[in-house]
Amino acid sequence: MKHLNEEELIDYYYGESESPAAIDTHLRECSGCAKDYASLTSDLSAIVAAPTPTRDADYGAKVWQSIRSSVPVYEVPREAPRKRSSWFALYPMLHSWSGGLAVAAACLFVIAAAFFAGRLWEHRNTPPSLANNVNGEQGKQRVVLVVLGDHLDRSERLLVELKHAGPSTEAPLQAEARDLLSTNRLYRESVKQAGDPALASALDHLERVLIEVSNQPAGLSQAKLDELQKEMNTDGLLFEVRVLRSRVQEDGDSKRNVAAATKGVSIL
Amino acid sequence: MEVNDHATVRTVLGGDKEAYGTLVARHSQNVFRVAFRITGDEADADEVVQETFLRGYQRLQSFESRSEFGTWIYRIAVNCALNMINKRKLDATYQIGEETDPSQKQVQVADTSAGPERTLLSREIESLQAAAMRNLTATERTAFILRHMEDRSTTEIAAALEIAPNAAKQAVFRAVQKLRRSLAPLRVNP
Repeated sequence: MKHLNEEELIDYYYGESESPAAIDTHLRECSGCAKDYASLTSDLSAIVAAPTPTRDADYGAKVWQSIRSSVPVYEVPREAPRKRSSWFALYPMLHSWSGGLAVAAACLFVIAAAFFAGRLWEHRNTPPSLANNVNGEQGKQRVVLVVLGDHLDRSERLLVELKHAGPSTEAPLQAEARDLLSTNRLYRESVKQAGDPALASALDHLERVLIEVSNQPAGLSQAKLDELQKEMNTDGLLFEVRVLRSRVQEDGDSKRNVAAATKGVSIL
Repeated sequence: MEVNDHATVRTVLGGDKEAYGTLVARHSQNVFRVAFRITGDEADADEVVQETFLRGYQRLQSFESRSEFGTWIYRIAVNCALNMINKRKLDATYQIGEETDPSQKQVQVADTSAGPERTLLSREIESLQAAAMRNLTATERTAFILRHMEDRSTTEIAAALEIAPNAAKQAVFRAVQKLRRSLAPLRVNP
């Protein structure tokens, strides 16, 4: 019999061989393959997983607490209005009519005429500045999203630094926190007015952390850092900021796509 | 009586957001274990757990009741962990000073005496293993961990990594071959 190659031996070792009985027999009869297999077994059995750190019983509850504010409630799908019945009622009528085909052709004609009339009307009545205004508004929104994304990005970096900070790194951290604080206030107010409760709540939480970080006259002690992490849940906030940053980025991308898609409209 | 996962998913989709907390509590330890094994870092694993359950919630409507929620969320976790290690790859600084000098790889594992030398030896082995694992690509490493440590079948690995079963099998083969080459100095010569 042909000798077994490494792939066949690996398959056999993990119990995924297509013909384990044949390989078993071969390994008993062929000392060369048996030696290779013993070597493979020895190598693989030496590779063991590092012990997994333990997580306490309420780990799941903590994970849920950290994400629950970022997820919306699913809405129960409502039954669609029973308008379809009228169409169903029309169907036998159309079916029975000998001129059904003619009706369909007439419908098509009406739709096409309405379409061309609409195009013509749009040409004559659309003010030339409208498309530019739309693009201008979208451009403004894009700028806001980019600036907000940048703010969240900086905040994320600060929270990461805070997470790994030692008591000696307080000076640059505090300066950055003070810098972010003033802009954060502005964004929080505008977001609140724009009616985005998730973003407003995260910025509110961020503001409290920024105040704590920037208003420590004697710098950040280890105890203060621990307190921030525990009491103000900076880890949870970091995650929240990451989620929001990616959301803002996605919004920005979609706005950019919309802008790209409407570029053709302005030519009309 | 404990409500099963499918019923809980229906409850969440019916508008009871809090019910998802039960699913998180039930599966977070498993998700953490696989996340830790793939990322090799506790903080990263915690982040992967959060990301996994968040994505799970967002995609809950696509969860099909013919599969198990545990298997489904496990796949998402593998995917998130894989993304995490790909992201971390960009930060190459972690490798500085961790490459073991090849001349020091010549160790004798046959010595079973306990004590500081033995401890040092196991640290050396661990360090070599860690370095060998780092030399694998993200897909090879994940496929190997799922096969060797998580005892998952080729079909499950392929589904988790969203690749063809044959590609999953090849990833495991390549990982084993590379690991064996890297760990050859540890082999005890008869």
